[in-house]
Amino acid sequence: MVTEEEIEQVSKLMKIDVHDHKEFVEKVHSMINYFDILDSAGVEDEEFTIKDLPLSCLRSDKHIPYEEKLIELLKNYKGTFVRAPKMV
Amino acid sequence: MTKIGLEIHCQLTKLESKLFCPCKANYREYAPNTNICPICMGLPGTLPRLNQKAIEKATMIAMALNCSTPEKIAFFRKNYFYPDLPKNFQITQLNIYGDTSIGGSGMIIVGDKKIRITRIQLEEDPGRLIYEGSSSKNQITLVDYNRAGTPLVEIVTEPDFENPKQVREFLNILSDLLENLDVSDPSLEGAMRADANVSIEGGNKIEIKNIGSFHDLEKAVHFEITRQESLHARDILIAQETRHWDDKRKITISSRSKEEELDYRYFLEGDIPWIIIEKEIHEKLKSEMPESISSKKERYVTKYGIPDQVADVLSSDKFYSDLFDKSDTEKNAKEIANIITTDLMGLVDTKEKRQQSKLESSHLTDLADAIQSGKITRTSAKNALYEIVKSGKKLEQIISEFDLGHVSDEN
Amino acid sequence: MNLKLSALEFVNEVKNGNLSAEDFVSATIERIKKIDGTLHAFLNVNKKAVEQAQLVDKKIKSGKKVGSCFGMPLSVKDNICIKHSKTTCASKMLENFIAPYDATVISKLKEQDAVFVGKVNLDEFAMGLTTEFSAYGPSKNPWNPDYVPGGSSGGSAVSVSAFECVASLGSDTGGSVRNPASFCSVVGFKPTYGLISRYGLISYANSIEQIGPITRTVKDTAFFLNILSGLDPNDNTTINSGNQDFLDGIELGIEGKKIGIIQEMIGEGIDPAVLSATNEAVSKLEGFGAKCETISIDMVKYSVASYYTITATEAGSNLARYDNLRYGYDFPVEGFEFNSYISKARTKFGPEVIRRMILGGFVPSSGHAGKYFLKALKVKSKLTKEVLEAFKKYDYLVAPTVPILPFKIGEKIDDPVALFLVDINTVLANLTGVPSISVPFSISNGLPIGIQLLAKPNDDKSLLKAAYSLESTVKLPDVPI
Repeated sequence: MVTEEEIEQVSKLMKIDVHDHKEFVEKVHSMINYFDILDSAGVEDEEFTIKDLPLSCLRSDKHIPYEEKLIELLKNYKGTFVRAPKMV
Repeated sequence: MTKIGLEIHCQLTKLESKLFCPCKANYREYAPNTNICPICMGLPGTLPRLNQKAIEKATMIAMALNCSTPEKIAFFRKNYFYPDLPKNFQITQLNIYGDTSIGGSGMIIVGDKKIRITRIQLEEDPGRLIYEGSSSKNQITLVDYNRAGTPLVEIVTEPDFENPKQVREFLNILSDLLENLDVSDPSLEGAMRADANVSIEGGNKIEIKNIGSFHDLEKAVHFEITRQESLHARDILIAQETRHWDDKRKITISSRSKEEELDYRYFLEGDIPWIIIEKEIHEKLKSEMPESISSKKERYVTKYGIPDQVADVLSSDKFYSDLFDKSDTEKNAKEIANIITTDLMGLVDTKEKRQQSKLESSHLTDLADAIQSGKITRTSAKNALYEIVKSGKKLEQIISEFDLGHVSDEN
Repeated sequence: MNLKLSALEFVNEVKNGNLSAEDFVSATIERIKKIDGTLHAFLNVNKKAVEQAQLVDKKIKSGKKVGSCFGMPLSVKDNICIKHSKTTCASKMLENFIAPYDATVISKLKEQDAVFVGKVNLDEFAMGLTTEFSAYGPSKNPWNPDYVPGGSSGGSAVSVSAFECVASLGSDTGGSVRNPASFCSVVGFKPTYGLISRYGLISYANSIEQIGPITRTVKDTAFFLNILSGLDPNDNTTINSGNQDFLDGIELGIEGKKIGIIQEMIGEGIDPAVLSATNEAVSKLEGFGAKCETISIDMVKYSVASYYTITATEAGSNLARYDNLRYGYDFPVEGFEFNSYISKARTKFGPEVIRRMILGGFVPSSGHAGKYFLKALKVKSKLTKEVLEAFKKYDYLVAPTVPILPFKIGEKIDDPVALFLVDINTVLANLTGVPSISVPFSISNGLPIGIQLLAKPNDDKSLLKAAYSLESTVKLPDVPI
């Protein structure tokens, strides 16, 4: 059971304005209901399988400056900063 | 019963590159947004490239703090939105599937108190924010990502501290330790930051965030203890909350956050496999670790008969201990130690002075010899030292140049 | 000009001097101009393609060493970064995003003198099965433009099937290469997880997705695998493929091999035409001397729920970076507070992406993680164990790629769970990391059916042998456009 309130909470968490909450409640509700099938999978005692890598395969500690002026290829403010809205 | 716990963030400033990309770890010399690349900017399609040395150095820190070090470590995502976080998640470490962060429980002695370390984790620093515009209407946030991705080691302690003085002592020990391990320069601005939690009389734990320096940390803790004690004395309940340190007014303020408590939705970082640190590597790192401060002190006291307090000063400062250990300690250890901890100290009491100093261990050997053999007086030695630090000239030359070769002690 | 050449045929013709890269690429561009108005496979056509082909021709004439692609025209799914090109992921959020770097697969193909004719359509951020969720309009199935081409790599499959390019790069998270390949009657391959670098693939569900080639023939897939596979320092999840030649021995056959028919994938809900095609494929495989029998993989029935729970969680995190501050579209920050700005900016995501992100915030959240996300991970684990166990007995597994025939555009778009279940046969390979391929097998009432083969991890070379054998038994008509 997913309530409209829960959808509103999650949309705040995911930072997306979801205006027509009702439409989402129905669709998300049916998706989550479907996931209930996982309860009958009988996997409580299962351990996760893990992919691993030895330490020696990792990147060596070298400084390599990026060859282009990257900030100019992105949204920028006078070629120096990125602008963000005010923080409260 | 006052209980204080700490959460300390140390940048690994001595590394060449960031935690997940080859940009420079120490960003301080760079103009805004010139120490960035597609990876640390979290551009679409980029993936983290873990820095091998960061893991090695962090493991050494864990060993130095007597922490357990697991054979497999894992990284997790901490998901939240903030402009200084290019991916809007931070790659960090957790212990939710067993012990997978770089350091498990450990401890360190501070004076006569044992301080337990809860865990040590490796994570990335976010960028920096600058606020522009005066009135709240015009305000804009400017973001500089030079720091984003800088390797951080987070050290979490149990609430074992009893007073601000112990906290201060611990921070000094930690700074010295990190410098001694050659992983970080604690004197760099922002290289070491800390949050604290404070509770009194078994009451609620109050978190204090936004403490800018170690100096402020002691003040903040002191203020908070006083605040809680006064509330307690009036029988007022101390509610569980997070407060932040107001640097201007030198007080802690309740963080009235408008957001609900954040749910970080932690899960394993799929782009980084678990890293295996075999036993052989642990042994190799242990053997490569620079001698610990306590071991140096022990050595100075037992082997060279250096007085306790002098040995303390000598061992806890890498600049001094390096000079001492490279000089001819077999012959004149006590004299050299004395020169360093009395006359030299005043001449190299800042970072700049140390960088400019031309003094080498051989100078100290010569100086100690000269004093012991009576070739020059203590006072002349002091003057000679000043010259050596300035010019690096050999003692012989200075003695003749400045005509210091008197035996008598009159002055 | 005959555009119906496979990659290997093209290379041969150019090497023999019968064909110039420029002529072929020009004709390809003409073909795109002629039919893509109907099919809408392309989001962006490379205006410099002919010029780049000319350069390759020059290289050939001058006797210099030429890359193995000899100027062949390829299309690339628009979630793979090509330097200085728009890379939109078929989303309005990345409307103006110009990638500042090449994906590893792109660098490798450039090194081999491939020519990219354009970026092709997908479901927005690769979330979907029909390419109907593209913010720039759906692509159409060249076998019948009223029908979906499959997804999310719909544009890739359409462009290859309709001779708008020789081959394409797609990405496969839950079947997104194999499903459209099946629906469009071309070959679609998902390698063992880690065989091909994901550096430059815009992440949707990074723990299970892979870039995969969509080609006309199985040998072409092997040809591209030789170029694309290998350890990449830019991607810590890549594995050492050991410098194999995937074309070597591809014709050796499957005599004596044991093949398991996955019971759960030919049961309830399967279209009778698909079932009969599967049975026919099995007898063809037996005709080569392979032994086929049914096998049950119990966890299959939970695999779709597990897949969508895990991918929603990862997508919710992977798409968090799109806050429109560093790149995106034009929307000034003045007058806004941080949270309200980004919440508004992110409404540019399409409805399906938003649904997945709401799911992705819900299922791993502290109140619900145990019931959904953690259980899904455990199902993934158990499924992997079951499948690896199966591969101790069988060399390959077989099943139809999609249990149903291609359906009409608009038919399933309003029922998310019905759409989920189209994936039921393909998600297994993603959740377990095993290699899987869809081979075009038959046409039923004008609509294509593909058969899926799977092998154990790192057995990609062996898988191609089985696929080649199966392919050799079929002679399919050309696409009617």
